[in-house]
Amino acid sequence: MTLGQLVGLVLLFNAMTFGNGPVMIPLLRESLVSGRGVLTTDELLYAFTVARITPGPANSYVASIGYMLFGLPGAALCALAVVVPGYLMLPLQYGYGLLRSARAVSGFTRGLIGASVGLIFAASIEMARGSLTTPGSWIVFVLAIVAATVLRWNTLLVLLVPSAIGLMLSALL
Amino acid sequence: MSLGRIFWIFFRAGLAFGGGLGILAVLEREVVTRRHIVTREEFLTTYALGRIVPTGTMTAVAVGIGHRLGGFGGTVAALLGLTLPAFVSTVGLTAAYRQLQDTRGFALLSVTLLPAALSLVVAAAVNLARSAIDRRPEMVLAVAALIASLLFHVNPAIILLASGLGGALLLGPPTSA
Repeated sequence: MTLGQLVGLVLLFNAMTFGNGPVMIPLLRESLVSGRGVLTTDELLYAFTVARITPGPANSYVASIGYMLFGLPGAALCALAVVVPGYLMLPLQYGYGLLRSARAVSGFTRGLIGASVGLIFAASIEMARGSLTTPGSWIVFVLAIVAATVLRWNTLLVLLVPSAIGLMLSALL
Repeated sequence: MSLGRIFWIFFRAGLAFGGGLGILAVLEREVVTRRHIVTREEFLTTYALGRIVPTGTMTAVAVGIGHRLGGFGGTVAALLGLTLPAFVSTVGLTAAYRQLQDTRGFALLSVTLLPAALSLVVAAAVNLARSAIDRRPEMVLAVAALIASLLFHVNPAIILLASGLGGALLLGPPTSA
């Protein structure tokens, strides 16, 4: 398999799944692990886990896969392959701006906003299902909610102070 | 706005844990709540358009907001800021694959940074919901979208388009509500 082929696959799967990381994994597994046998299942899962526990976009695991197969150039090109389609946003936003004042479009916007709120909550609930699995994680979650909403701490403190408490709890228990 | 400033805002968002939602949470705090660069409605509309673009939503949102703040240079600054922390840490940890695979550190993240990151997500979701909550049609659509996504796993792009079309047919400008 060449680097060009890998980048082509990443471009294709990314577009097919709208950049949804977890949905892309089975496609990548099918083609890289079962199909061509260039990656092991463990390596693919490692790439996915690394992207989840590191900051930033979760689809950064394509950089990890690129690195495993082709070193730094592979990582850079795979990362670029999931970023470039983002530029489709410009014509979309431009066209939207032109039509904005039309009555039907303001109704459309209200529909979009309502659905966005629902989708954000749906995604939060799915994320909670995956990560709030132990009493310790619940304690950290509740402390951080209080820090963010009641105490209005800044982002870094909201992340670090409850995390540190979680770390101490897990050392004690 | 200067490119350095745009880079800095998105770099902070790129440092967020919890994937796209974590980034959304930090961006909402930085550009809506604190700096008032975009309104809540504009932010949600950008998010909705970003979900329709066939790539990661936050990548598209970075292009959209970056362009509004600083033209084409703004998009590059926003994308660099957003992806740099992920790229460096992901590649670094991949290079250290064999050494790190069995350490306890990975397990600890599930009781530390990940739940803390989730709290930011929930706080941002509640904050963004305020713009929809006082209008009944938006509330109904929000609940319908939640159910369609969570229980029936309908593709988000389809949910957004259907909700938008429903709004276009049934709802007028926000002032009439």
